[in-house]
Amino acid sequence: MPYIAFGKKSFMLKSAYRFDHFMGILNTIVRIFIFWVIYKALYGSRTEVEGITMTMVTTNFILSIGLEAVFYVHDFYLPDKIGNGSIATELLLPVSIKGRMIAENLGNAFFKLLYHFVPALIVSVIIMGIEPPASVSMLILFIVSALLGYGVLWTISFVVQMSAFWLINVWSIVTIKNVFVNVLSGSMIPLWFMPDWMSGIVEFSPFSSIYFTPVQIYLGQLSSGQIAYKCLIQLIWIVIIYMIGNLLWAKGKKKLVVQGG
Amino acid sequence: MSSFIEVKNVSKSFKVSKRAKGIPGTIANLFVPKYEEKKAVKDISFAIEQGEMVGFIGPNGAGKSTTIKMLSGILYPDSGEITVNGYVPYKQRKDYVGSIGVVFGQKSQLQWDLPVIDSFELLKAIYRIPEKMYKKNLDRFMDMLDMWEFIDRPVRQLSLGQRMRADIVAALLHSPKIVFFDEPTIGVDVVGKEKIRSFIKKLNAEDKVSMIFTTHDMQDIEKTCNRLIIIDKGSKVYDGSIQNIKEKYGTTRQVEVEFDRNYDISPMKDIMKNVDIKELNEACGRKKQFIFENTEVQIDELMNYLLQNYGVKDINVSEPEIERIIGKIYSGEV
Repeated sequence: MPYIAFGKKSFMLKSAYRFDHFMGILNTIVRIFIFWVIYKALYGSRTEVEGITMTMVTTNFILSIGLEAVFYVHDFYLPDKIGNGSIATELLLPVSIKGRMIAENLGNAFFKLLYHFVPALIVSVIIMGIEPPASVSMLILFIVSALLGYGVLWTISFVVQMSAFWLINVWSIVTIKNVFVNVLSGSMIPLWFMPDWMSGIVEFSPFSSIYFTPVQIYLGQLSSGQIAYKCLIQLIWIVIIYMIGNLLWAKGKKKLVVQGG
Repeated sequence: MSSFIEVKNVSKSFKVSKRAKGIPGTIANLFVPKYEEKKAVKDISFAIEQGEMVGFIGPNGAGKSTTIKMLSGILYPDSGEITVNGYVPYKQRKDYVGSIGVVFGQKSQLQWDLPVIDSFELLKAIYRIPEKMYKKNLDRFMDMLDMWEFIDRPVRQLSLGQRMRADIVAALLHSPKIVFFDEPTIGVDVVGKEKIRSFIKKLNAEDKVSMIFTTHDMQDIEKTCNRLIIIDKGSKVYDGSIQNIKEKYGTTRQVEVEFDRNYDISPMKDIMKNVDIKELNEACGRKKQFIFENTEVQIDELMNYLLQNYGVKDINVSEPEIERIIGKIYSGEV
């Protein structure tokens, strides 16, 4: 199967640069730590704010920043290939480019899960502590919802990347996308602390379903009805965004310009 | 029966952004971008049979690469029809590209950070090559191109000649029926070029693979292809054998004569009117060059005249190189 080979290849490539890898783990731990220190100072001597304890905040950061490391999608995968003309050689292979993108990203994600998320999680839990999952079934549902969250993140990146057919340089769009993802997904500001009017909107955006929905499930904050509802929202977003990306892909292919002769 | 590769009235143009000079022009372009349509390929048609080896040449920007990219399913033509081996390349890309191989001299298909053999293994999976066929092809090509010594090295550590050989093998592992070579010897040294050429020739003879070559190195073409298609400014200007082009356009002859002393041969100009005489500042002015068209001047007449009237030490007659003929075609002289 070609796609399994692609996944394996990017898994192997990830291990080629060891120093970079260790720095990546350190980066994740430091980021979690910084947010932890800031929120510790904000909490002061209080044990909870609006029903949210400090451990819940810590848990939010460890899980969402940890997942962020796993969920890394290479936003410049296609733009780079269009920009430097190597898209030509990609198109010469008898495989679907989308399939290849997914396979390579998953290979990457799997590597990061094992060798990045797990060590960062262990170190962070030792230093800062974490809320245990509400129950075993919640842990399983957390994993399911996290996978769907990855789907949402991937499709958003897919659409952004497709714009490279027209724009070639997509750095600005990627940056804007990342700001939205960071701010609205709860990995920077836990969505509990957003004003009501805003969290009402954010709740329906695709962004909150990337990290915040899994975290809420993990903490047992949602009833089973709510879980089903939230996962459905994730699924609907995946379908809608993917369809937009696919439309752009079909149009973009026809107007592909191969750079550099 | 239609041909193996058939191209019918194909055209393709690109939009090129056109901006006025300098900073004001750049700023104006930000708000009101202007585009210009550039016709890369204009109404090209040709047909190629199975097992043929065709040189596809033209000056920079003539539309060669664009044509190759349309033939290999990467680009969509604006109009016209292309069928290769029963496929429409750009519409059935995924199925079609499994039966072709493409070597881009300037773009590598190999994984930069992985050893060559890992890239080959990946290609084996991508093309779903059966184990037996993979093993057979790999061993055969490795031997032919003398590659065993660097098969375990990462691609980034290879020399250009080694990388090119690896790239060629990469394009052939799945036993394609058609192979496109886009400048496969660019930047490779003389020995390396020779190795690549003889390999390609052998492969064509043994496996009956159809090959299309684009290159700027006429030696590549002369030593491998028997048919030549020349395109210029997006249109086909020649389609035929190399022999034919030499006979048709290569009528210029050049004779270099070394005399026994420095003669004044100006009286000769009145007798041999169509011969262009050049003094060469070699051998104390004893060497002279005579250039003429063999349709106007008989070479034996010239020789007789020279031998009867002067003392001649050495004569060297040269046929025109294909390079010079092509140069003339490009510059519109013929």
